[in-house]
Amino acid sequence: MRKRRFWYWIGLTSLPAGVILLAASDSLSRVPEIETLFWLMLVALVAELFLVRYPMRYGYTDHGIWMSVSTPIVIATLVLYGWEAGVWMDAVITLVAGLANTLFRSTYPRWAFLNTVQSVLSAFCAGMVVTGVDWLIARESAWHFVLATGGALMTYHLVNSLLISTNIALFEGVQWGWAIRQNLSAFPQEATVMLLFSLIVGLLVKTFGVSGLVMALAPYLTLRQAFMLWTRQHDLYHQTIRSLGFLVQKAHPYTGGHLQRVAQWARRVAQQLGLPPERCELVYEAALLHDLGKTVLDERILNKPGRLTSSEWKQIKRHPQLGAEILGGTPFLAPVVPWIAYHHERPDGKGYPYGLKGDQIPLEARIIAVVDAFDAMIGGETPSQQRSYRKALSIEEALQELKRGAGSQFDPTVVGIFESVVREWQRYQQIARGGAAR
Amino acid sequence: MSSAWLTLTIVALCMGALGYYAFVVLPNQLHRWRCQSLRAFARAVELRTQGRFGSADLLAPLVNEVALRMGLPLQERRRLELAVYLRDIGMVGIPYAVLNKPTPLTPIEQLTLDRHAELSASIAEQIPGLWQVAPLVRLHHVVYAEQPEAPLAAHILSALDNLLVCVQRGYTPEQWCDEAGARYHPQVVATVRAVCRERPLAESLPLHRSAALWL
Repeated sequence: MRKRRFWYWIGLTSLPAGVILLAASDSLSRVPEIETLFWLMLVALVAELFLVRYPMRYGYTDHGIWMSVSTPIVIATLVLYGWEAGVWMDAVITLVAGLANTLFRSTYPRWAFLNTVQSVLSAFCAGMVVTGVDWLIARESAWHFVLATGGALMTYHLVNSLLISTNIALFEGVQWGWAIRQNLSAFPQEATVMLLFSLIVGLLVKTFGVSGLVMALAPYLTLRQAFMLWTRQHDLYHQTIRSLGFLVQKAHPYTGGHLQRVAQWARRVAQQLGLPPERCELVYEAALLHDLGKTVLDERILNKPGRLTSSEWKQIKRHPQLGAEILGGTPFLAPVVPWIAYHHERPDGKGYPYGLKGDQIPLEARIIAVVDAFDAMIGGETPSQQRSYRKALSIEEALQELKRGAGSQFDPTVVGIFESVVREWQRYQQIARGGAAR
Repeated sequence: MSSAWLTLTIVALCMGALGYYAFVVLPNQLHRWRCQSLRAFARAVELRTQGRFGSADLLAPLVNEVALRMGLPLQERRRLELAVYLRDIGMVGIPYAVLNKPTPLTPIEQLTLDRHAELSASIAEQIPGLWQVAPLVRLHHVVYAEQPEAPLAAHILSALDNLLVCVQRGYTPEQWCDEAGARYHPQVVATVRAVCRERPLAESLPLHRSAALWL
């Protein structure tokens, strides 16, 4: 299905791209300073080959896009030598670099083709903006250079982001709106830095020709450094969540598999409830960290095999607020703090630690409450994951318990959705077992 | 001015802006993010060791000020700030009963507690991009009389960590300076004295309390 979608999409985009390339090839021979253009293309190709991975917040898999810093060189070409030269240059460097990636990074050649098609479309749109500026302002004016470069860069970036987001939405199965928001999240910083680099390259080539390119090496390396730091910032976020998760597991070994399962189920329930994808990811992260407060508690109470005394229960009941306090000083985790603080509240107001009622409890906290209770009842998949002080229930018994508590202990809507998620999971399990048996 | 010179001037200005962003603004932002994420770990440990809540947040600006006055370079100051948040992370591996024992510790319990610096350092070594902070973390209780050759940053961290504990127990910074003796680096003690002379330190070190622990 995805493969068919891929070929429809590639057919839809390659038709106009082919027409554009044909139209551009007509006037390509009339481009002046062909030698400078050749060197410019070589530099852009090198930049295209040294890609920087830009991660995207989507679970913990290796989702992300490979970005190059060749765009400013293409923009400079568009402004200095016209849209025809820019479109052809972008097509050649994207195709050659894409094929090289096929060899060295084991990517599919069809991706190289799709990227080339999309580069042609983006460069063409940017070229049209330059042509528009040509009509409005004389080419000799300094304003022409600045406006054409700025306009072309913004257009290129926007069109390219739209096309890449469509790719991600089609092939990763995520919402288009989410993909575009992810792609454009760092747009102001990226656009400012890219604009500065485009102006530098354009001015150097305009004034010094080929030798100007050598001088562009320093800004190129600077731009790469900026990209690498953005990437590291993104990775840091994931590292923090993962490390905090490990901390919880260390404090309470039972929670290892429990946290992973709760996180995955909570995300699925959030998706089924129609929450936006970025919210679903936050629910996953909150569920992974919901027992963080237990790291503070006395491990003798946490690992006690028998029934807890009332004073020990009092200690345990502190963990939601302790978890919230731990994360309170970390601004980028601020959205999940209330969900962690309220994940033991109940719709009837008998929960802890605050005794909130009904809608006072955030939906995300209600999701975590249901999934957490269910996983605690079924007690993990292996005996070692089961809690020593309580006999594990079967999945059906646990679902019955949830339904009995719907309205008083648990949110009835969440319980209903969660049941369908569990049924879906059971179907997959059956298919997997059947596959293994064969 | 010829067009070549004009171009070079504009290029230099653009390069300046680009360089400032890539080599000053972004690394600074990255460092702040690092500190904020490590603050979560520090808080977990502080809540576990009752009475220490908020100590890293109090210590970080103080350490930075003393290090700046002592002329430590920016990279070293950044490493020191990260070490403030990481220094006690090894406490997660120390039993709760030892950490919160109301009576004096037995020699074995004291030995167990003393392991936290080594534990913290080994955890720091495992975190990508933070291994260079590990030596400072390992030496965060260094005694000047025993290891005068230890890095100055480690002496600053060791002295100020102890100062904070003493101030929270009711000592004045001046008393702490007077009694420091050969335990802490004399230059660090002199700098702390100078800082205290300019503004009363005790007022800037309020005791933080965790709401959850008072439920």
